[in-house]
Order: sequence, then C-alpha cells, then structure tokens
Amino acid sequence: MIEGLLLIGVLVAMFVGYNIGGSTTGPAFGPAVGAGTISKTVAAALMSVFFFIGAWTIGRRVVDTLGRELVTNPDIFTLPASITVLFFIGLALFVGNVFGVPASTSMTAVGAIAGLGLASNALDWAVMGEIVSWWLVAPVIGFWLSAVIGRYFYAALNKRVALVQTEGPLLTIDRSGLLPVITFGPGTTKREMVGTTIVVSIGCIMAFSSGTSNVANAIAPLVGSGALEMNTGIVIACVAVGIGAFTIARRTLDTLGNDITALPLTAAIVVATVSAILVISLSAIGIPASFVVIATMSIIGLGWGRATRTMRASRESISDQAGDARVTVGSLAADTEGEELPDIGEEDPEDIPAAADLFNPSTTARVILMQNVVPLISTVGAYLVFRFVPVFGF
Amino acid sequence: MVSRVLVPMDDSEMAAGALRFALSTFPSAAVTVLHVAGGPTSYMGEAMSLAVADDVDGAVAERAEPVFERARAIADDADREITTEVELGSPAKTIINHAEGFDLVVVGSHSSNLASRLLLGNVAETVARNAPVPVTIVR
Repeated sequence: MIEGLLLIGVLVAMFVGYNIGGSTTGPAFGPAVGAGTISKTVAAALMSVFFFIGAWTIGRRVVDTLGRELVTNPDIFTLPASITVLFFIGLALFVGNVFGVPASTSMTAVGAIAGLGLASNALDWAVMGEIVSWWLVAPVIGFWLSAVIGRYFYAALNKRVALVQTEGPLLTIDRSGLLPVITFGPGTTKREMVGTTIVVSIGCIMAFSSGTSNVANAIAPLVGSGALEMNTGIVIACVAVGIGAFTIARRTLDTLGNDITALPLTAAIVVATVSAILVISLSAIGIPASFVVIATMSIIGLGWGRATRTMRASRESISDQAGDARVTVGSLAADTEGEELPDIGEEDPEDIPAAADLFNPSTTARVILMQNVVPLISTVGAYLVFRFVPVFGF
Repeated sequence: MVSRVLVPMDDSEMAAGALRFALSTFPSAAVTVLHVAGGPTSYMGEAMSLAVADDVDGAVAERAEPVFERARAIADDADREITTEVELGSPAKTIINHAEGFDLVVVGSHSSNLASRLLLGNVAETVARNAPVPVTIVR
C-alpha cells in the first residue's frame, strides 16, 4: 500500500518535472534556437545538463526550505498530502501551458505547501514572511537594474550584440593532422563566434537558474516527508526535466506567440541575465524565486528605461546639430564616447513619452496580478482541501 | 447619417466580423480601421519590443501590418476602400480617445484568448461605456 502510494508520488513529481522541462527550455534556449545557432536536440541536452548542475549544487537548499523549514512539523507531509500538493503544482503548470496564463511554479508550490501548513496549523510564519518579502523585493531590483540598462546602456549594447550568421557550420573538425583540430567553419568570424557563445551561455545560465529554483517544486514534499532521499529525489526530478526538454519542449520552442522567445535578441540577453542572476542568488539563500514575475518586471524595466531615455548623441552630432534644441549636452554619456549611436536625432521626441505610456502603473499592476491568480488559487485550494476533506484528518 | 465609422481591430476573428458588419451595414460611410499596438501581454514582451526599437514608429507600423493586410482583404471582398491608423498604448483608452471625430464605433465583442481577456478586461464594454460617440458591439 505504502509502496504503491510512493510510486504514485514519484510519478506525480515526475509529471511536475516533465512540465518544468517543457516550459523552461523555450525561454532559456528560444533565442539560441531561433537564431539557428544550436539545434533543438542540443538545446534539450544543454537544458538537462545545466538544470542538473543547478539542482545538485544550489537547488537542494530550496528543497530544504520548502520541505523542512516552511512547515514546523514535516510529519504533515504524509504521502497522500504530498501527492495532493504536487497535484496542485502540476495543475498550475498545466493551466499556464494550456491557457497561456503564465504562473510562477515556485509561488504555486509555496502556496500549496502553505495551504497545507495553514490547514494543519504547522505553517512557519517567519519563513513564509521571509519568502514573501523576497517576492516583493526581487522584482523591484530586477525592474531597477533593467531600467538602468535600458536607459543608459541599451543602445551601445545593441550595437555590440548584433548576431551575424554566416553560411556553413560554425566549427569544423580538421582530421588531416595527427590530432583532430577544431577550427572555425567557412566564413565564421570571430564576432559571430562571440555572439553565438554569449547566446548559448545565457541559455545555459537560465537552465542552471531554473535547476536551482525549480527542482524543489517537484520533490520538496516527498523529500520533506522522508519518503525520498534528497539525492535520489534530485536525480529523479532531473530525469523528468530531461524527458520534458527532449519531448514537449520541441513544441514550446516553436510557439512564436511566446512573449519571451519573441523578444529582440539584445533585450532577451539583458532580461535573461538579470533574471537568472536574481533567481540564482535567491536560491543560494534558500528562497524559492518567482522567475515569471522577476522576468516580467525586468522586461517592463528595460522597456520603460529605454522609452524614457534622454536624447543621446555623439560628440560629432552635437556639433552637427548645435542649433537643435532637442539635443542636450547633459545627455552625453561617457560609455558612448566615440560610438555612433543609431538613435541620434532620428526620433521624434513625441514618440518617447508615448512609448513610456505603455508601462503605466495600472497596466503593470494588472499583468502582475494576473500572474498571481494561479498561485493564489493553489493556496486557497490546498487550504480548503486539507482543511475540509476528512481523508487528511488535520 | 453615419458617414465616418471607426473599427478598432486586433488579430481576432471577432474584429474581422466587426469590419464585415461595418462595411455591409454602412455602404456609403468612410471606414477607418484602428489598430492599437503594444497593449499588455502576459510578460509585457510586446510593449517592450516596441519600446526598445531604434525606430519606434517603424516597429509599431510593422506590428500593425498583418492586421491591416487582413482588413484590406476583407475590404477588397466588399469592394471598398478603408483608411488605416495605428496607435500605441492601452487598447480601450486609446480607442475612446480616438473615437472623437467619428459618428460611430463598431467593435467586436471580445478578443481571442483567455490571457488577453484577463489582461485587458472587456475592451468592447469599456469602449461602449466611455466613448463620446455611439458604439455598436458585434457578436
């Protein structure tokens, strides 16, 4: 009986992992696959490897937080309770994927476990408070960092990132000598090599960050209850994520409607870097991070920062347009010296405030509110189920 | 006498229906199709893609082109000419601000998917309640 339940628990956990693999590979490697730098199979392989590294090194801290610290009494993670919690997490991913309503897996997981803790009077409010505080602070940091980048560095960054693709393979292996030598493919430039490396590395960092934060969502209840060893659990979750990456991710990688994969390359790199660093940092201190909300606030910050930029100009264009009142000397930025930026005097100043209007507070509030609908439902749902369904006996 | 009709369109089937209705119901009116780009999306990616573009106007026009192509195809079928206009921002508010100067707004009852309905609310209803001119909602 118990073993049968454990098998169901592992299967549900694998279903959660499978969905994580499917939904994370797209945002992480979408830009790289879209630009034709790597194939979907390579993307899936990189996803599996870096997710595992993230889960094995840092991810276990978040498993500890969710499985052992968030509740004062881990005994409440009976097998039926763990399976129910995982069911709510899986349901959230399902809703997100089917209806295109993004929901943070971590927030949903914390919500479901908090619902269980509330129903059984075992929720550690100090830990819960700490997690929720970070959920408020981290997106603000993401917004602010991205806004600074968008406002002051984006134009220069955009010039450098331009990803040039040449015909032929990126690298060729020369086997004519005694040892095979790897050389640049025909027409491969150094710049192309650097651009490609950056885009693929960013995907790897995102896969790593997903491992640090998301492995807990699949296995924390089972590890917390002692039904699974930590290391066994991590390996099982990573296998499931790998299966998801190699199967359903192929389809999510194709979905052009995905708001994140369709971003301009430079923007995708900025958002991915800022979000991944924040998620990894939070995971390192054991906090399950809400990648969806952090990434969204980073996107809004970047767009808003860029939309509210002051008119920038190179020194040459200042003298060219000395009589033009729109160019202010004060907007000269040291980092752009000598760089001829594409936006010199090209924009109608009226465009800029109009674009900034896209990110007004009520719109932003609405987007963030929508992303919190699913976690909220999982919290309330889990509470009601554990409180009133007599099977659980809390 | 209805002589100037505004038809706000997104890429939904409902919007196409609104345009067909406007063209057939007002055979002699001048029909203007308005597309509002950069409205809120699940991750705000669309608004951001526009805002970071070097040429914001160009990027907005590019975003509106598929919608206008479809609108022109519908107009061709009805053997009519239409005017197209593109604006940036929150759909309902932009449509309401734009309605001044038209005799009637003809709008589809809802947009295509659940996410955008959650994000935008009911645009047709908001427009109907707040527009300075009469509004027809097409189902």
